Amino acid sequence: MTATTRRRQVPEPRPMATAPSTGMAETAPPSVVLNGLGMSFSGKHVLRDVDMEVRPGQFVALVGPSGAGKSTLLRLINGSHRPTQGSVSVLGVNPAMCSRKDLQLLRTRVGFVFQQFGLVGRLSALENVLMGALGSLKLPRYGISTYPIALRERAVANLERVGLLDERFQRCDTLSGGQQQRVAIARTLMQEAEIVLADEPVASLDPSASLSVLRTLKKLSAEDGFTVVCSLHQVDLALQISDRVVAVRGGSLIMDTPTAEASEEAIRAIYQQAKDDRS
Amino acid sequence: MNSTLQDRRSAREGTRPSPMPAPVARWPRASAATLGIPLAYLAVTAFGTWWIDIRPEALAAGFGDIARLLERMVPPTTGPLPDLLALALETLWIAIAGTGLATLASVFLAAAASRRYTGPRAIQWLARTIIIVTRAVPSLIFAILFVRIFGLGPLAGGLAIAFHSVGMIGKMMADVFEEQDPAPREAIAAVGASRTQNFVSTTLTRALPALASLVLYRLDINIRASAVLGLVGAGGIGVALQTAIGSLNYQRAAGIIAVIVAMLLVLELVSYLVQRAVAEHAGEHTQSQLFRAGRQPASPGWDRARITRTAGAVAAVALFLYSLGQLALNPARLGQAWDNALALLSGFVPPVFTADVALGIFESVIMALTATSFGVAAGLVIAVLSTGHLVRFEPLAVGLRGIVVVLRGIPDIIYALVFVAALGLGPFAGFLALSLSCTALASKFFTDSLQNVDPAPLRALEATGANRLQVFVSGVWPQFVPSFIGNSLFTSDLALRESAVLGIVGAGGIGFLLDESVATLHYQQTAGILIGLIVVVVALESVARWARRKVI
Repeated sequence: MTATTRRRQVPEPRPMATAPSTGMAETAPPSVVLNGLGMSFSGKHVLRDVDMEVRPGQFVALVGPSGAGKSTLLRLINGSHRPTQGSVSVLGVNPAMCSRKDLQLLRTRVGFVFQQFGLVGRLSALENVLMGALGSLKLPRYGISTYPIALRERAVANLERVGLLDERFQRCDTLSGGQQQRVAIARTLMQEAEIVLADEPVASLDPSASLSVLRTLKKLSAEDGFTVVCSLHQVDLALQISDRVVAVRGGSLIMDTPTAEASEEAIRAIYQQAKDDRS
Repeated sequence: MNSTLQDRRSAREGTRPSPMPAPVARWPRASAATLGIPLAYLAVTAFGTWWIDIRPEALAAGFGDIARLLERMVPPTTGPLPDLLALALETLWIAIAGTGLATLASVFLAAAASRRYTGPRAIQWLARTIIIVTRAVPSLIFAILFVRIFGLGPLAGGLAIAFHSVGMIGKMMADVFEEQDPAPREAIAAVGASRTQNFVSTTLTRALPALASLVLYRLDINIRASAVLGLVGAGGIGVALQTAIGSLNYQRAAGIIAVIVAMLLVLELVSYLVQRAVAEHAGEHTQSQLFRAGRQPASPGWDRARITRTAGAVAAVALFLYSLGQLALNPARLGQAWDNALALLSGFVPPVFTADVALGIFESVIMALTATSFGVAAGLVIAVLSTGHLVRFEPLAVGLRGIVVVLRGIPDIIYALVFVAALGLGPFAGFLALSLSCTALASKFFTDSLQNVDPAPLRALEATGANRLQVFVSGVWPQFVPSFIGNSLFTSDLALRESAVLGIVGAGGIGFLLDESVATLHYQQTAGILIGLIVVVVALESVARWARRKVI
């Protein structure tokens, strides 16, 4: 890649959040474009020929059995993996072609919520949330007081938005699983991300905490207008929360439909088919 | 009995009884390593006993000579006490400054040496090499080299402590980094943080409790090490000891040794109390509330725990900076030091490796391994007697533990000085010195392990009517074996590093040749000795690691 193209692909500064999105913004350029995307590890195909566009403000549920390629797909969007075939465009930038610095810049605009939360357990919820702003700061930080007061206030506000204001000085490893995932979401809010990728964010939570966490994510997405691509195993939750359901099996995209038109039986059949294939 | 059962099962399943003979209990087949390693150790010990000429009559005669020397040391005198206390304080500053410098450097080295490092491979390789080399070279050897570069005084001592500790702290810290869960690191990389930001926020913050106890543990060791650096002119109270012994003033030497031992015991107690406070503080962290809210919702408040924590951190930094100031660092001296360092390093090329060097290193290894065998045997007896598994006599246990604490308080090289003064030059004095320190060390390790065995199986055995010896053999020993082997190998590892320096006071091994090569400016030979020593230490460490993996 030449220096010119690299410079052209440097992510633009994030525009200030405007009015909340009310749904699919058909006229705006897509947040994510996957074009003939394929990925293989040691010759084994994990994803093949995936074509997909995600519009700004959409809440996309990515469903499919374990090993279908959902996590790989999210990591390709986030630039953690480089595709072996096809291309990815995230906010107009191809993460696979970015330099390390440019990828860092892109990642400040793309949030990621992990199944295992990725929190530093011995630190307070507030400090963990503040870490979400590291991409916008130059120097390393240690301790709450080393962050600018404006960021600290924003972190407290974000914790309040996820319902954890009173727990802000609590050590993270003393919080429940659902609370920890809310802290992780609040950390993502610090990025003021335009896209949030969530990799099975409720897989280790009980059903009531799962629903509560996903509702929080949905509410925040509606308020701030960010796009969500969320991989899930729970079909009922996917149907309750998302605008659109995309199903993956064996590395291929086999269903892509608005949630209102999606049938629970059809999605469950995908899981059953995978089960039958395995046995 | 077995065949009957088999026949019944066959009859039930409608099959013919198997013609295979019934299994009989037999000895488990020992692996080559399980048998070979102890046999090899015994062979080396037997050879070492012959090489060093350890005979009962030599030992008896030696004890007579030592008793006569001890008589000449009574009553101990200290001379002007303020001077001695000033030197004792200098020892403390050397240890604190050296440990602090090593800690700062270790953070970067460990980060680069860790398997989690994602930067250039060359930097990782360099960091690992520095850790391996500095771990292999004892601080007293670094002190000899730094005295040549920086001149006599505490600066050479502080740097010697720092260089050796870098390897020790760096290795352990890299292990701590590697054992961490990678999830937070991945999460913070995903928010667009730089590698440094990510390291500070996720890796260092999680490693801090382990790092604090690691540094305190190392400081404890370094205070002991810095007490003898004066023997080679690198500052501290060892200077006074060297002068007293050099002038045959044994009463003063005894007084100085008593001051050193008292100082080390007091500092060990302080270190123990600080470590306990740190551990309790780590316990506090498991409480749900980490901070109280401050006046503003986004600021943590100042409660007692936070004030104590902050005051402790500020005091530690202030103490480190003050101790750095006590190292007598001045720019004019540094300019001269640069020239000296260049002369020393250019003098290293090409390294010369003679037969004398090989023999010296060989003698150091033999002394260390033989002394370890004797020390481990004696340490085992002391540990068994002081833990009450076999003999329950509390006064004996308390007395033995007290003796071990005092024995551990005296650095090896001071034993060596006394034995050389009593018995003359040679490896026999070194062997005795090492045996004493190995005994103290091994008995400490073994006592800790024996006290920590799971009592449940012992109670179960007692309930079957087994006697104390049976309970020990069947219940205690199998639990104790892994730690016995691990700690014995660790003791031999430490003994090897110590035996490499005992020659400085004439107690055999390579130390004498090393000291002489630097003093006579034969730097090529110095380089040969250093390379040989590093290779041998690293090789034996690898063998010990392999043995630990095979046997445990």
